[in-house]
Amino acid sequence: MAQPSNTAMQSFDALYRDSARDLYAYVRTLLHDDASAEDVTALAFERAYRRRTAFDARRGSQRAWLFGIARNAALDELRRRRRSAPLIADLPDEQMRALDEQAEQSLRRATVRVALDELPARERELIALKFHGGLTNAELAAVLGTSESNAGTRVHRAVKKLREACHAPS
Amino acid sequence: MRRPEQLSPEEARELEAIDVALAGGSVDHDLRELEDLVHEVRATAPEMSPALTARLERLIEHGPEPATDPVKPPGPRRRWVLVPALGTVTAAVVALVVVLGNGNGDSSDTVIQETSGGKDAPALARPGSGGVAAGESAPSAAGRAQSAPAPAASNRPGPAIAPQRRRKVERSIFLVLATPKDKVASTADDVIQTVDRFRGIVASSSIAADDRSGGEATFDLRIPTSRVDEALGALSKLGHVAERRQDLQDITASFDSTQARLDEAGAERRGLLKALGKATTENRLDSIRARLRLVRAQIASARGRMASLQRRANYSRLSLTVRGNGKAEQGDGTWSPGDAANDALRVLAVIAGVALIALAVAIPLALLGAAILFGARVARTRRRESALDAT
Repeated sequence: MAQPSNTAMQSFDALYRDSARDLYAYVRTLLHDDASAEDVTALAFERAYRRRTAFDARRGSQRAWLFGIARNAALDELRRRRRSAPLIADLPDEQMRALDEQAEQSLRRATVRVALDELPARERELIALKFHGGLTNAELAAVLGTSESNAGTRVHRAVKKLREACHAPS
Repeated sequence: MRRPEQLSPEEARELEAIDVALAGGSVDHDLRELEDLVHEVRATAPEMSPALTARLERLIEHGPEPATDPVKPPGPRRRWVLVPALGTVTAAVVALVVVLGNGNGDSSDTVIQETSGGKDAPALARPGSGGVAAGESAPSAAGRAQSAPAPAASNRPGPAIAPQRRRKVERSIFLVLATPKDKVASTADDVIQTVDRFRGIVASSSIAADDRSGGEATFDLRIPTSRVDEALGALSKLGHVAERRQDLQDITASFDSTQARLDEAGAERRGLLKALGKATTENRLDSIRARLRLVRAQIASARGRMASLQRRANYSRLSLTVRGNGKAEQGDGTWSPGDAANDALRVLAVIAGVALIALAVAIPLALLGAAILFGARVARTRRRESALDAT
């Protein structure tokens, strides 16, 4: 493998420092599984590292490019999971832990977490990309392969559903 | 799923508020609930485990370990891109072979023309060289060799040698000159002047005009045999020698037999004249006179035939054709800058032809390859997206 230049290394290092936590949060929200999320996050960074010289700034930001790679890896993981045994998510444990907390804030967050987890996968992914990934609508469009206006519309629809789920009686 | 929908102003305002809240700013009071939602969702973001953090740190510091990515590396997938490229290269090679094949055909045509019509064609006797045409028979050649002036053997001292018999040979020459189509008439005039210069005779001539090829002029000429090689050289310079052949016919036997008959008739005549002087009876006189008339007729006939044979030996027959080659005059044969420009244009035309043929083959292949690549990509994307719908 060709040795990357110092500039490319520094650029990739900066991308990692800036995006790793958000990327994991997005993948974890999408996959509902810690182990799979860790593997997919690591895999996304490996792929991005190998393809870093192929990055084209004209096609979007580095962050959108990285999230696109992670999305493909996460969807491949979902497909593998669909072919194998269905995953029994560890959500109930977290839910129980959250419910055990008495603080109002914790209760509120637990409600949001539950509402988020109960969203359809497409809406949940949009919320994760927007709220955890912090992507702009243009970056979202690049990741999803759609137009910016369509990405905005879909994000707004997903947020609306999330708000409704948060206010729904449990 | 991808229906283009326009956001209402209120929806756009809410989206803008989300972006502001994500950036850490504060939003309008009526959108505080949205800001809270952003913060609460952010607060629920799953945290990376220390193990993952360490794993990623190692990755960033040392790079990925070889073959850790279970997914196929990009190299083999990119080989699909090589399909249209390979097709293009193949098409270019095929086109080049086709064009070069045609080019070889042209050059072989040129060789044929040079062989049959070149002034320096080896099969032809060079003017004045005394060479023998390829089709000339051995007896003819021998006859022609003996038709040359008698060697000066008698001038040499030594024992007396019987004088060599002088052979009588009739030469017939067939010559075709090719000229530019606009030069047929002027070349025909030059032919007449050349024949006059060598004291030849134009037995007949005709010119047929043709706008496309330039026409054709034909001549039936008689050239003094003693100067025929020289005249042939001069005529050959009037155009491109497309064809030339000559035939030699030994007429010595006819000449000798006629001469013998003439000698016999002369001797008989002399005898008859002596007998006439000695005749005493009227019947005898009448008989000798009748015989004398017959012999005189024989002598006249023999002399006429002798004269004819002498003319055939003294004058060579030359059938000359001046033919337009359908092309305008091209200069003096030297390679000029204009010729170079023409050659360059020819090369460019060949290159353009190769490129055109290559494109004709490559474009469908490239379109097919692109369609396959596009279809594969769309299918892969749909398969991935379907995973979202299944969860």
